[in-house]
Amino acid sequence: MGIMKQDLDRIKEESGKNVSKNWIRVGYSTCGVAAGADVVYQVLSEDAKARGLAVEVKKCGCVGMCSAEPLVEVNVEGAPHVFYGKVTREVAHKIMDEHVCQKKLVENHIFEL
Amino acid sequence: MKQILIQDTNGNLRKELRDFLVSLTSQLRDRSLADTVQVVTVADIGIYQKGIVAKVLPEGFVYGNLEVKHIPEIIEKTIQKGEKVAALALDRKNKQMRIVLRNCGRINPECFEDYVACDGYQGLAKALEMGPEKVIEEMKKSGLRGRGGAGFPTWMKWNITRGVSGAVKYIICNGDEGDPGAYMDRSVLEGDPHSVIEGLMIGGLAIGASNGVFYIRAEYPLAIERIQKAINECYARGLLGKNILGSNFNFDVEIRLGAGAFVCGEETALIASVEGLRGYPRPRPPFPSVKGLWEKPTAINNVETLANVPYILFHGGESFGKIGVEGSTGTKVFALTGKVRNSGLVEVPMGITLREVVFDIGGGVFNNRAIKAIQTGGPSGGVIPEQFFDTGIGYESLQKLGSIMGSGGMIVLDENDCMVDISKFYLGFCVDESCGKCAPCRIGGTQMLAILKRISDGKGEDDDLKKLNEIASAMQKASLCGLGQTAPNPVLSTLKYFDAEYKAHVVDKKCPSGKCASLVTYSITKDKCTSCGMCARVCPAEAITGSRADKYTIDPAKCISCGQCFDVCKFAAVLRQ
Amino acid sequence: MVEETLVEDVKKVVERWKEKRGNLIMVLHDVQDRYGYVPREASLEVSRQLDVPLARIYEVLTFYNYFKLQSPGKFNISVCLGTACYLKGAPALIDEVRHLLHVEEGQSTKDGLFHLQIVRCLGCCGLAPVITVKDKVYSAVKRADVVNIIAEHSNQKVEV
Repeated sequence: MGIMKQDLDRIKEESGKNVSKNWIRVGYSTCGVAAGADVVYQVLSEDAKARGLAVEVKKCGCVGMCSAEPLVEVNVEGAPHVFYGKVTREVAHKIMDEHVCQKKLVENHIFEL
Repeated sequence: MKQILIQDTNGNLRKELRDFLVSLTSQLRDRSLADTVQVVTVADIGIYQKGIVAKVLPEGFVYGNLEVKHIPEIIEKTIQKGEKVAALALDRKNKQMRIVLRNCGRINPECFEDYVACDGYQGLAKALEMGPEKVIEEMKKSGLRGRGGAGFPTWMKWNITRGVSGAVKYIICNGDEGDPGAYMDRSVLEGDPHSVIEGLMIGGLAIGASNGVFYIRAEYPLAIERIQKAINECYARGLLGKNILGSNFNFDVEIRLGAGAFVCGEETALIASVEGLRGYPRPRPPFPSVKGLWEKPTAINNVETLANVPYILFHGGESFGKIGVEGSTGTKVFALTGKVRNSGLVEVPMGITLREVVFDIGGGVFNNRAIKAIQTGGPSGGVIPEQFFDTGIGYESLQKLGSIMGSGGMIVLDENDCMVDISKFYLGFCVDESCGKCAPCRIGGTQMLAILKRISDGKGEDDDLKKLNEIASAMQKASLCGLGQTAPNPVLSTLKYFDAEYKAHVVDKKCPSGKCASLVTYSITKDKCTSCGMCARVCPAEAITGSRADKYTIDPAKCISCGQCFDVCKFAAVLRQ
Repeated sequence: MVEETLVEDVKKVVERWKEKRGNLIMVLHDVQDRYGYVPREASLEVSRQLDVPLARIYEVLTFYNYFKLQSPGKFNISVCLGTACYLKGAPALIDEVRHLLHVEEGQSTKDGLFHLQIVRCLGCCGLAPVITVKDKVYSAVKRADVVNIIAEHSNQKVEV
């Protein structure tokens, strides 16, 4: 028996409950990967794991700000929700250090478009 | 904790900005606010030509044209009381509207639950309840027109295909995004694959097809991978196959790959390619809706079109129809690229002006050069010069200007771009991509290209422009398919708006933008030359000689007009004529 | 250089597709994925196993830009010539590659290390101009960067 309408509603409802409050999205489309999103994703997820941080690092599609790729969207409690663009390995470490841990924004890479 | 974001677009602090920052931080310190307010320079706030721009979080107030004297007021009002300083505030409206890209960048494209959580497959569920006639009725109310180029009303296409009798029908998703410079389809396939699958299923239901095909460019490996994963996921959950969502609707989907042929965007050529043949178009009628894939009734819809469908079904055709303008409803995704500051994908409601897209969203021209025109519609489209930028975007309004909506490429051209060169580029593309089946396109294109080459080489003849017009109109009338019929458009529209530029090439043998190498000579002015020798170092032809003592000169006999010396000279000592 | 497993390779591909109508292009895609191009021997084998005349196969191969008839070399340098890349200086990059490697479009260097390919829009227009070498993508490339990109790969040990 395949999935039914009720199942869709149930999945929707459940995922509504399970939304993590702290998450990081990495734009992981061709343009993002071309600009280095793979490295950024790896650094962020490894950092989060190594420090045991309760932050979910997710791969996502492209939001459209191609000239700013690789693009990272950060939403953690206690700090504003922002997009970081042109993220490198170093900036990714900084995002974990400063934004996620110290709740301070990282200099020079925010794109508020 | 509060944040003051200060825009520093270029990454190098201009003096005023530095003074402002120093003063701001010291004033915050004086008021013992340094620990509770973070001042942070940011790459972009999206506002330009407004001096120093700042945004205060969490309130989100944006202030522009800031000076040091404004600092106390900002601190007292906004930082300490959370009030807006009205005199400095800039009204920053988000002019984008996301329907097609609604989930792109928000959900994990490889996660079924993520899509379902964003109302995924609810449109399909509704469609199954409504039945095919009502689905088509809903699409009619929405006014959705094909986003692939021609702008044919989607409901009508579906209705015609539905009306043709036959037990086997097909629906094809055209993901062979051929316009070089448009990539919204790739982005949607990669960022939200389920929405396209859902759209395809709804279309299949509407026309009575139980087979769907994704035709995707082989150059998009990630898109193919994500669509395949999404299809597998649907099969695993019984969302594809038999008795979908407990109904009696059966639907199967498979992927076929394109192999790099622009002509395969044309429906009949695409069908030939899906059948494993050369992508030759054939005369119409019969239209694909009557005789398409394997001679069966077939509907072909573009990726962006299909991504709209689940949204329309879920939110209702009427509400979708209210977005945009009469005749062109909904939104359109544009790939805004070229010489624009913020290149990327933008989705805007129809009817918004070109100026708003290029300047308010795109941030205007890169490096503050003067804008010349935009090109829309790719190789089948045309250029629109700046005087028409206040036109609202719509299928007909762009057509009136001699261009088309096309698949949504929007290329910004600045003063350094030469119109002859641009039309040569697009025509060259069409000549390469012409399948060669019909003579007007095969021969006409080649001849026009030869003329354009001659013109940009400085060998243009007096009646060349007339000839271009004649061949173009013959191609438009006599070509078999859309490729040949539209290939002359870039030439015609540049001829229409930039006649003077063509004449400069033909009559004066000059290229006003300095792009056509044969029409440009380079020289060095002694009074500006600082003898740094950079030009001589980059010159690939060793045409530049000189020394610290007697400065540098270019030997015109050796110069190949590559322009590298011009680009590299920091003192504007290299002249281009 | 075509491996001895060719007959087997083609057999696997054909197995996968033989039940489907209009499978020729998909079969050729799979062959190219395996070899990096479509060797003549493979075409002959496909012709035999699918029972399709060789002429029909070449008709398709030569029509579509994506199919390559020659080995692309160890490092395939693809320069994007989409509109955005064109405007932002891709022609100069092509010139530079030609100049540095002494190859024309579609040719390989004598040592078989590099191959110059011009492609139509990789869909990364926001990063223009774009060059890819093997799977690595270089964005916003300037003429002066080309030499470094090539050097980066010339020094690499070529994996077999």
